[in-house]
Parts: sequence; structure tokens; C-alpha cells
Amino acid sequence: MASSTVTSRTPRGLGAIGVIGALFLVLPLFGIVRRVAWTSLWEQLTSTQVTEALRLSLLASFLATLCALILGFPLAWLLARAHFRGRALLRALVTLPMVMPPVVGGIALLGVYGRTNGLLGSFLFDTFGVQVTFSLTAVVIAETFVALPFLVLAIEGGLRSIDPRHEEAAAVMGAGPWQRMSHVTFRLLRPSLVAGVAVAWARALGEFGATITFAGNIEGRTQTTPLAVYMLLESEPEAAYALSLVLVVVCVAVLFALRDQWLGRRS
Amino acid sequence: MSAAASLTDAFRSLARNFQRAHPQVKVVFNFGSTTALVSQVQAGAPADVFAAADTASIDRLRTSGLVSAPSRIFAVNTLGLAVKRGNPLHIRSVADLQKAKVVSLCAKTVPCGVYASKVIQRAGLALAESNITRGIDAKATVGAVVNGDADAAVVYVTDIAASARLVTTITIPTAQNVIAKYSITTLQRAKNAVAAHAFLQYVTSSAGVQTMTRFGFGRP
Repeated sequence: MASSTVTSRTPRGLGAIGVIGALFLVLPLFGIVRRVAWTSLWEQLTSTQVTEALRLSLLASFLATLCALILGFPLAWLLARAHFRGRALLRALVTLPMVMPPVVGGIALLGVYGRTNGLLGSFLFDTFGVQVTFSLTAVVIAETFVALPFLVLAIEGGLRSIDPRHEEAAAVMGAGPWQRMSHVTFRLLRPSLVAGVAVAWARALGEFGATITFAGNIEGRTQTTPLAVYMLLESEPEAAYALSLVLVVVCVAVLFALRDQWLGRRS
Repeated sequence: MSAAASLTDAFRSLARNFQRAHPQVKVVFNFGSTTALVSQVQAGAPADVFAAADTASIDRLRTSGLVSAPSRIFAVNTLGLAVKRGNPLHIRSVADLQKAKVVSLCAKTVPCGVYASKVIQRAGLALAESNITRGIDAKATVGAVVNGDADAAVVYVTDIAASARLVTTITIPTAQNVIAKYSITTLQRAKNAVAAHAFLQYVTSSAGVQTMTRFGFGRP
């Protein structure tokens, strides 16, 4: 009922621009689908470079999401529940990687974990002979760096929307702080947690700039799927389109799985 | 102006001088790997002049009907080794690259990657792909040693010279080396054909060649 009154009131010009906006977003997807060579699709997706890139991407994005979750939940808790000076500043700093160009993120990571001039990296290398860059660890660090803010903001939003009375009630019934967190807060937080994890994972999966700058572009070691797409575009454009299609399908699948959280079906 | 990434510094300088003589012309650059530039032009990128790090790329554009003017070789280049400053791994030759954990090379399909494979092959070396990080063009490839943690890069001597203060340079003997021939032409669909031709003339003039040699390129 409510939605139909709103529709009838939408000015015609506005609706038309809205349709153009939708086409603007959807057409490029057709651009990929149109260029995919369907007959040789399987062949392209099973070449060593492609399977290695997919395997690496899945592994790295999974690990990055896990790291983001471990670091992100306490951080979100601080931002949502703790009261301290500089909280607004901390939130601004935490969201910075979201708006920063990823390649800048890559350079910044080199400044910390780089072997030659890195803040921690040079110590690690000189003392233990450990080199972070050009490794799976570097890919995971780069992906975690860009994905973490998305997760933090989602969880923080979720924590803020929980009615404190639920937790108070649990406290009255004798639940300790950890018990309250696991039995009450986590349950109520589930939708935002799931949505946050999904966005963070998708962001990690799609990471390009920070990865190529910080982790390099080694086939089978640090060449993730987006990097492979970029490299293949020059040598085997058909394989690049095939691999792009895989990424799009994966993202659509995530959206579909989360349709309740995102597409407003809850309301 | 679409130009190979390895021409970045030299062409910026050329353009400054050219614009001083032709104040009504503004040279706008699109630098990238020659291979990427070819794809862009084939996809309709609005370029007037095309400068490649090889001769085959312009031939390819000619085959697709995008070039009809003659092309000219205006500079040559060779490859060198860039290693971390102070050469901690004591790399003295291409064969020594097997000591390196990570070697930075250009993508297999771009000219400097093709040249590098040849040089490595001539040295009788077979590097594992798991020790090679691939830069998208010559600049990015040497950048992995300059800014990143790659141990060595095989890339144009001109790109190494541009970062000479930040890396240690090792010469590759002529017998093992390759000669990259840079060619330039105007494009069929050039919107500014007159200015395009004037810039091409300037690049291939003696003043242009002199600028190129100042940046470490060889005379054609």
C-alpha cells in the first residue's frame, strides 16, 4: 500500500533518470557477458594461471575476512560501546582505508612491512630474516587492510541498533559480561555481522591496487584473480572476460544469499 | 600521444621543448605498456601519435588499418639489471639472478617482458615463475625494486638510469643483450593531424634525438 502511493507521486523526469541510472550500472555487466566466448569457457577457466589465481583468491580472501573479523569485532565494540576521548577521530581513521585509493594503501603498507625501509618490515627482516612482501601473508594483509573498515562499520551499526534493555535483562538474570555477549549480543547482531562479513569478503576478493603494489604479481603466489584478469586482458582477452564473469557470478551469488539482509525484505 | 611507459621522462622533456616552439599545441600523454596502448587504440582511444617500444606493435596497428603513415625508428634501448642499493646479494650477471628470491620482470606480453625473456634465455638461465613478479610496464617493473622488496629487475637501462640513485645498476654484456627499437608514427584517425606530424618531426629531428640520448637512449 505505502509503496504504491509513493510510486504514483514520483515525478516523471525523476523516474526516467532513475532508469538511466539503473542501466548505467547494469549495462557493463552485459558488456562482460557479451564478450565471453562460451564455447571455450571451460578451457579458459581451467588453464593453470586461472585456476591458481582463483585458488589463491579464495584462500586469501577467506583468511583476510577471518583476520578482519578477529580485529574488527573488538574495534567495532570500542567505537559503539566504549566512551573515550577521540572516539570520533578513531572512527574517521578507521574508515580512511575505505576512501583511500587502494594503491596508496599498498604504498602505505610497504612503509610499514617493507623489507628495506618498512617500520616493522626492516626489523623483521634484519632480526628474523622474514620477508612479508611477495607472499601470501602480504596478500592477506593488503586485503584485510581494505576490507576491515567495511566490517567495522557494519558491526558498529549493528551494535548501536541493539536495544540495551535486552542485555540489561540478561544482566539482571545473572549473566556475566562474556555470557551476555555470546548469548544476547551476538544473536541480535547476526544480521549485521553476516552482511558485514559478506561486504568485507567481496571487497577482499576484488582487491587490486594494494595487492599489486604491496604483494607483487607472482603467478601462483600473489597473483590473485583481479590481477590475473588485468594481466590476461593483454595476452588472452577471452580468458580475462571468462574470469571476470566468474567474479561477477560469485558476487551475484553473495547478493542472492543475503537478499534478506540487503534488499529490504526484512521490512 | 600514446607512448610506451619507458619513454615517460624523455617524452615529457621533448614535449616541454616542443610546446615552447609551438605554444598553440598542448601535448597530452597516455603512457602505458606498448601492448596495452595497442589494445586501447584498437578499441578507439583518441590518440594522434603512437610511440612503441618495438616495431611489431605498429605493424599490428597497420594490419588493423589504424596506421597508414610510414613509421620511423627514433631511438634504441638495451636492458640492464637493477638490484637493491649496495647489491646485498652480490649479483654480477644475469646468471646470478638465480640467487634472487624475487625478480621483477615486465608482463610476458609487453615488449620489455619479451626482451627480458630473451636475455635470460641467452644467459642459459631458467627462472621459476614463482620467483618472478610481473610489472604492468617498464616503470612499474623497476619500481618493484626501487619502492618494493624485489631483489632485482631486468628492464631497460633508461628506466634504471632514471632511478640510479635508488638502485645499483649492473650492465648486461652486448653479446647477451637485446636491442629494443622504438618506433613512432601518426595514427590514421588522428584528430590533430598537423600538430601530430609536427611533433613526430620534432621527435625524429636532431634536437629530438639529442634529448633522447640525454635520457640514455641510443641513436637509431
